[in-house]
Amino acid sequence: MPPGSPRRPSTSTASTNFELPHVGTGRPVHRLGVIATVATFGGLLFGYDTGVVNGALEPLSEDFGLTALSEGLVVASLMVGAAFGAVFGGRVADAWGRRKTILALAGVFILGTLGCVLAPAAAFLIGARFVLGLAVGGASATVPVYLGEIAPSEKRGSYVTRNEVMIVGGQLAAFIINAAIFNFFGHIDSIWRWMLLVALAPAIALLVGMIFQPESPRWLISQGRAEEALAVLKQVRSPERAEAEIAEVTHLAAEDAKEATGGLSDLGTRWVLRLVLIGAGLGFFQQLTGINSVMYYGTQLLTSAGLDSGVAIIGNIANGVFSLAGITLGMYLLNKQPRRVMFLTGYALIAVFHTLIALTAVIVPPGPAQAWTVLAFLVLFVFSMQGTVGPLTWLMLSEIFPMKIRSFAMGICVFVLWIMNAIVAQFFPPLIEALGMTATFGMFAGLAVIAFVFLALMLPETKDKDLAEFEREFKAEYGRR
Amino acid sequence: MSVAVAVTDSPEGRLALESAVAEAQNLGTGLLLINLTLHDFTEDEVPPGLEVTVINRSGRGDRDPVTAVIDELDDHAEVDRLVLGVRARSRVGKMILGSVAQRLILRSPVPVLTVRQDGR
Repeated sequence: MPPGSPRRPSTSTASTNFELPHVGTGRPVHRLGVIATVATFGGLLFGYDTGVVNGALEPLSEDFGLTALSEGLVVASLMVGAAFGAVFGGRVADAWGRRKTILALAGVFILGTLGCVLAPAAAFLIGARFVLGLAVGGASATVPVYLGEIAPSEKRGSYVTRNEVMIVGGQLAAFIINAAIFNFFGHIDSIWRWMLLVALAPAIALLVGMIFQPESPRWLISQGRAEEALAVLKQVRSPERAEAEIAEVTHLAAEDAKEATGGLSDLGTRWVLRLVLIGAGLGFFQQLTGINSVMYYGTQLLTSAGLDSGVAIIGNIANGVFSLAGITLGMYLLNKQPRRVMFLTGYALIAVFHTLIALTAVIVPPGPAQAWTVLAFLVLFVFSMQGTVGPLTWLMLSEIFPMKIRSFAMGICVFVLWIMNAIVAQFFPPLIEALGMTATFGMFAGLAVIAFVFLALMLPETKDKDLAEFEREFKAEYGRR
Repeated sequence: MSVAVAVTDSPEGRLALESAVAEAQNLGTGLLLINLTLHDFTEDEVPPGLEVTVINRSGRGDRDPVTAVIDELDDHAEVDRLVLGVRARSRVGKMILGSVAQRLILRSPVPVLTVRQDGR
């Protein structure tokens, strides 16, 4: 999972076993492939738009004469927009349907991108980034749901994973494209506008592509439009499978409706409140690992450690590569290791690498040697974070809540997560300027230790437990008697 | 004639259910069990020896437990009594969350019987 990529991961999977005929071969499978490719442009855009400031920020900052604080605001405004986009995107997708929502989001991506590219002043850019953030957050909430709902149950996981990979891939693509543009065309004025403009291509591809994609069958069923749902299923399944799947989809649509049952008053139940606080803590600390300070400010960090801008922007690509490698490892580890072990190991490694970065800034004199040492520890941090805490936080959020309060509880946690993302983005540049690298990364190390203690004390184990069993145990331990 | 009970996920909720069962047995009526917890009641959680209708909370329309109960009472005209569990709440608790019991007492179309545990 990408550094700060709130999404609504759980589209219920069938708890009842439906014996279904094979998905089919040939046309329906091909059609599904096209749908997945088009929809994951949403993930790609998410990654590109969050990653592009890493590299675009320096020329942009020169152009507009930004201070450390206003640099932070340019970056963070997108995350604030995303917090709202993530929370309300799901609601819109339930009301309008997945397809229309994604189409609208593609439109917002296009408008937001154009607004950023043509921004006459910093204040305008900040506003345009907020709008772009709405689309980023909305895509994070809608695209995985759409993919999960249109994919056949046995392939659901792999389709959603594909979106995750596209998000991290989008960030890496932004790093590479920035490095290429900056090194070949760095002499051109306002080169950052071109870096941002690149995002227009996938946004248009998403808009045009989505026009030809069908609505989610599960959403159609939830609206009582069973005939249309069957028509869609017939496009993406063999005819026998399509008929057989209607029952499963109807069951799942009913389960989805249940997820919206619980709300604020249920937080009066002590064990439920405890779970929501744990979930919010997971989002809170995931962002305070500082993963996104690397994803947004990696190039600047390397510059301030002593590299030339042209070299720093290339060195920063390593962060993207290790992020992608980490997430790949993380996805594999998720099903092998107990959650608590993985979380605690992750936060311990994060604390160690942050400490090493902090020490490097003291021990190694500024210059290329310091910068390369910092980069080595940075990528190790990124790799350990993305291999553990990154994807695990999302998995955990999708499985700790009782089904009937999942929608509300996830909404709170995802909102906390994006807002912490924004706070880190906002205050990282001024912190580095005021306190230096040692104090800033020393602080991240300290926060990782606090996260370690918090999780060691509070986090329940959920691996290999079904939800009902987990709930019973947790309630027995923490409920009022 | 019938007795309704709102069962929350708490000791008061369990006490309310016990009292409502006793009440229904005394009156020789059925029981409308409105389950306000976050899990659906299974067979073995339903009190035996009575005619019980279980209503589980489900969907966004039931997000507010008070609305969920009032809607059920409106749909079941045969109900002439609502049993509720109540407890004293801390000042902080009152500041943060409203009281479901208080709102139900004020809005219920039928008389409300409240029960609380001894010494609480």
